[in-house]
Amino acid sequence: MIKNYFIITFRNILRNKTFNFLNISGLAVGIASAALIFLWVEDELNYNHYFPNRNNLYVIKDKQTYDGNTFVFDATPGPLAQAVKDETPGIQTTARSTWANPMLFSLEDKSIYENGRHVDSGFLTMFSVPFIKGNAAAAFMQLHSVVISEKMALKFFTSTDNIIGKTLKVDNKEDYIISGVFKDLPENVSIKFDWLISFKVFEEQNLWLKEWGSNSIITYARTDPNANIPAINKRLYDIVQRKNSQSTVAKMMLYPFNRIRLYNNFDNDGNEKEGVIKNVRLFSLIAWIILIIACINFMNLATARSEKRAKEVGIRKVMGAVKQKLIVQFIAESVLLSFLAMLLAIGIMFLILPAFNTLVHKNLSLQVFQPIHLGGLIVIALVCGILAGSYPAFYLSSFNPALVLKSTKLKTGSAAFIRKALVVTQFSASVVLIICTIIIYQQIQYGKEKDLGFKKDNLIITSLHGNMRSHFSSIKNDLINTGVVENASISNSDVLNMGSNTGDFSWEGKAPDKQILITVEGISSEYILTQGMQLKQGRSFYENLKADSNNIIINETLAKIINNKNILGSVINREKDKYTVVGVVKDFVSNNVYQPAAPLMLFADTSNANVLSVRLKANAPITSALAKVEKVIKTNNPGYPFEYEFADEEFGRFFQAETLIGKLAGVFAALAIIISCLGLFGLASFTAERRTKEIGIRKVLGASVSGITGLLSKDFLKPVLLSVVIAFPVSWWMMFNWLKDYQYKITIQWWVFALAGLLVLLIALVTVSFQSVRAAIANPVKSLRTE
Amino acid sequence: MIQLKNIFKWVTVGGSRVFLLKDINLTIKEGEFISIMGPSGSGKSTLLNVIGMLDDFNEGEYNFIDQPVHQLKEKQKSQLYKSHIGFVFQAYHLIDELTVYENIETPLLYQNVKASERQAIVADMLDRFNIVGKKDLFPSQLSGGQQQLVGVARALVAKPKLILADEPTGNLNSKQGEEIMELFKQLNKEDGVTIVQVTHSEKNAAYGSRIIHLLDGRVEKN
Repeated sequence: MIKNYFIITFRNILRNKTFNFLNISGLAVGIASAALIFLWVEDELNYNHYFPNRNNLYVIKDKQTYDGNTFVFDATPGPLAQAVKDETPGIQTTARSTWANPMLFSLEDKSIYENGRHVDSGFLTMFSVPFIKGNAAAAFMQLHSVVISEKMALKFFTSTDNIIGKTLKVDNKEDYIISGVFKDLPENVSIKFDWLISFKVFEEQNLWLKEWGSNSIITYARTDPNANIPAINKRLYDIVQRKNSQSTVAKMMLYPFNRIRLYNNFDNDGNEKEGVIKNVRLFSLIAWIILIIACINFMNLATARSEKRAKEVGIRKVMGAVKQKLIVQFIAESVLLSFLAMLLAIGIMFLILPAFNTLVHKNLSLQVFQPIHLGGLIVIALVCGILAGSYPAFYLSSFNPALVLKSTKLKTGSAAFIRKALVVTQFSASVVLIICTIIIYQQIQYGKEKDLGFKKDNLIITSLHGNMRSHFSSIKNDLINTGVVENASISNSDVLNMGSNTGDFSWEGKAPDKQILITVEGISSEYILTQGMQLKQGRSFYENLKADSNNIIINETLAKIINNKNILGSVINREKDKYTVVGVVKDFVSNNVYQPAAPLMLFADTSNANVLSVRLKANAPITSALAKVEKVIKTNNPGYPFEYEFADEEFGRFFQAETLIGKLAGVFAALAIIISCLGLFGLASFTAERRTKEIGIRKVLGASVSGITGLLSKDFLKPVLLSVVIAFPVSWWMMFNWLKDYQYKITIQWWVFALAGLLVLLIALVTVSFQSVRAAIANPVKSLRTE
Repeated sequence: MIQLKNIFKWVTVGGSRVFLLKDINLTIKEGEFISIMGPSGSGKSTLLNVIGMLDDFNEGEYNFIDQPVHQLKEKQKSQLYKSHIGFVFQAYHLIDELTVYENIETPLLYQNVKASERQAIVADMLDRFNIVGKKDLFPSQLSGGQQQLVGVARALVAKPKLILADEPTGNLNSKQGEEIMELFKQLNKEDGVTIVQVTHSEKNAAYGSRIIHLLDGRVEKN
C-alpha cells in the first residue's frame, strides 16, 4: 500500500512539474529559512554551555541607587572576593578577574596584541580552563607566568610542544614564563580570553584594589549545588555594610552565570529584564510564521488542485477505499513532498549559510548527521507535511464518488473560503514583517543621525602604550607637522565608552540625601577641540593642565541639575577637594545613543589617560593620512604595532543588535512575500484553469480582455486588501512595544503603513495578473469545445 | 439478490421536492443480466448508484444479499460493496497516474490481499483479457476500447457477484462496444456474474435477459 502511495506521488510530481516545483521550492525555502533561524536560536540557547560548572557559577553584581534610579554594575571592590569566601556559608570559592583587555606580547621581533584577563587562580578551576599543556594548580606558581590559548601559542611557535618554560615579553617590559596552554574556547561563551595572568600582578600595580570604596573588578563565585541564594545575598549586604567605612549605596547580589547571555538587563528599579532572549523569542516566532506561510501554500495549492484529483478519489472510493485510507494516502503524500522539500532545503542551507553567518556575526554550521540537527529537520518536515497535508486530506477524502464521477461541478464554496482565509493569513504576516522592517530601519537611522554633540567623522582612536602618555606634547607636535592632522588629545577613555562614574560630589543647594551619579573623565586641554565638541559657556582647559587642576568643565545636563544662574565659578566638592566650574560643554553622547546624556564632569588630568584621539583634516586622503599618523606613533613609540579605530566605525557598532534585527526582519519579510506570491501564483493559475469555460462564455458574449483580467484579479486582490487591513493594527502594536525600550525614538508614521500596503498590493497584482491575462487572451472556441 | 421496495429519492429545489426516483420496486435475482433504459434524466444512473450504494435514497427499503442496506452505516456499506460489486463506467475512470497493472491491482489493495496473491490474480486477469503486453502502459497510451477492457478487468479482479455498468459502451465505437458486450454476455453465462447495465442503445440492451424502462424516476415497463 505504501509503495502504491509512493508511486502515485512520484508520478504526480512528474506529471505536474510546474505545480510541484512551486510547491516543493516554496516549502523548501520556508524550511531552509526556519532551520537557519533555529540554528541561530540553538547557538544562543547553548551560550556558555561550554562551562561544566555553569549551574553553580555566579557573578557578583553591584546594585546602586541614585535619585530613584538604580544602576547595576559588574564592578566590585578588590577585597570582596576574599571576604565573601571567608564569611559566607554556601560559597565554595570566589575568583577575581579584570575585564578583557589587550596587551602586547612579543617574542624576538614579533609583537602581537592579544585579549586576556588577570585572574585569581580559582578562576582556572571555576571555569574549567581546558589545559592541554601544564595544569591549573601549577599555572600561577610563579608570579610572572602566563597561560595562553592554543591559537595564541601557534602565532608565536610552530607547535605547542615544549613551549612551557619559554618566555614572552609583555608590554615591552617584563618577561613572563609560559606555564600552560589551553584549548581555544568556543565562540558562544560570554567570557573570552587568549591569555590569563595572575591577578596578583594586577593587584601590585593598582594599590587601590585593597580599598572597599573602589568598584573596579569582576568577582565570580561558585556556590554549593543547593546553596540558599537569598541568604547569601543577605550576607553579602551585611559584609559590604560592615567593611565599607563610608555609608555606601552599594548592594551586592549573586547573579546566575547561566543568565548572563540571555538576560543580564536591568530596569530603573534594578530588576532583571529580558535581554537577548527577547530576540531569541522574536526570531523563533518569525521562523514558525515562515514555516506556516510555506505550509499554507502547500495546502492552498493542494486544495485548489482538488478537482483534478477528485476523480481519483471517486474511483478509489468505488474500489472500496474508506475515508481513513484516503486521508492516510494524502497525508503520506504531503509528508513525502515535504521530505523532498527538506532535502532541497538542506542544499539551500549549505549554499546560504556563509552569507547568513556574515549577517548574524556568527560561525554557525549545519551538521546534518548530528542527532539534534537531523532530528530537528525530520521534525520540521513531519510537522510541515502533516500540517500542510491535513486540510487537503480531509477535504479531498470527503468527496462523494457518485458526484465527482458524474463530473458535475463540485461545490467548492467552503474550500474557497478557507483558501481565501489562508491567503489572508499569509499576506497579513508578510505585511507585518514589511512594516516592522521599515520602522526598525527608521529607528536605526534616527539613532545614527542624532546630534552626537561631537564630530565622529575623521576621528581616529588608538590606545596609549609605553611612554606615549608622558611624550604626548611632542607626539602631538609631530602629528600636526604631518599636515594631515588637525588636532590630537588624550583622555582616560574614548568618547563613546565613558564608564567611570561616582556619586560622591556635592554642591551648594544639593539635598544631602540625594545622590547623583556623575560620569567623570580626565582629559588634556585639546580634548574639546579635537572631539569637535561645543563649549556653551566659559573656556576649555589651559595647555598647562596644572593650572586647572582644581577646575572642571561640566556638561549642560549637570549644569541644569546644579541650577545655578552663575554656573561659571560655582564650586563642587568631593570630600575635602573643591573644584570650580570654568566651562559648560554641550551635551554629547558618551555611552548610550538612545538615552539622554548623563551628568558629566571633565577634569584636567591625564595621569590615567589611556586613549589618544587624532582628528584628521577633513580633506586629507585617508590612506596616506593614516600612514603618516602611524609613522609618527611608531617613531615615538617603537615596539608597538599601530592599532586604531575610527570613531564612526565604533559608533556603528552601537547599532549592531538593532541592525541585526532590522536586516533579519528585512530578509524574512522578503522571503515571506516571495513564498506568499508563489502560492498566489499557483492559486491564480488554477482558478484561471477552473474558470476557462466561464471566461470562454464571457468572451463569446463580448467581454474584453481587460474586463476579464480585472474580473479574475479582483478575486485575489480582495483577500490581499483584507490582510493589509488586518496587518496594520498588529504591526502598529508590535512596533509600539518594540520602541518602548528606547527613550529617543521615532514616532510611527502613517505613510509607512500606506507604503507597505501599496507595495504588497502591487506585488500581488503583478503575480495574479500574469495568469489572468493569459486566461483572458486565450481563444474561447478551444475552451468551450472541450467542455 | 437485490430487492428494492418503495424507493424514493428527491432533492429540494426552491422549497419543493423534485423526485429523482419515485416508488421503485425491483427484484434482481442472482445470474440475471439486466439492462436499464430510458431517456436522459429519467433516473437510470441514479438508480444504478443507489444499487451500488454510492448514493443514498430518502425512503424505502433495500436488501442486498439479505442485508438491509437502508439500516447499514457508511463503513458497513462500503465493506459490503467492495467485496460484492464491481463498477464499470462510461468514461472508464482509470487512475491516470497508474499503469494498467496497477489500476487492476487497486481494488485488491483495498481488500488487504497479500502481495503474492495479488500478483497471481492480476496476472491471471491480464492473461484472460489478453492485455499482458500492455500491463506497463498508462491509460493515456491506450485506445478507448482498451481502456474499457482494463476498466472491466479492474471491476472483475475482486471476483464480485454483481457488476454495475453505467453506459459502458457510450464512449466507444460500435465495434469496440460489441466486444465489450460480448464480454459481458460471456461473463454472465460462464461465470454466473450478475450484471446490471444502463444503456441508451436498444441493441446493447438486447444482450440482457430483462429490460427495465425508466421514465421520470418511475419504472415504466419491467
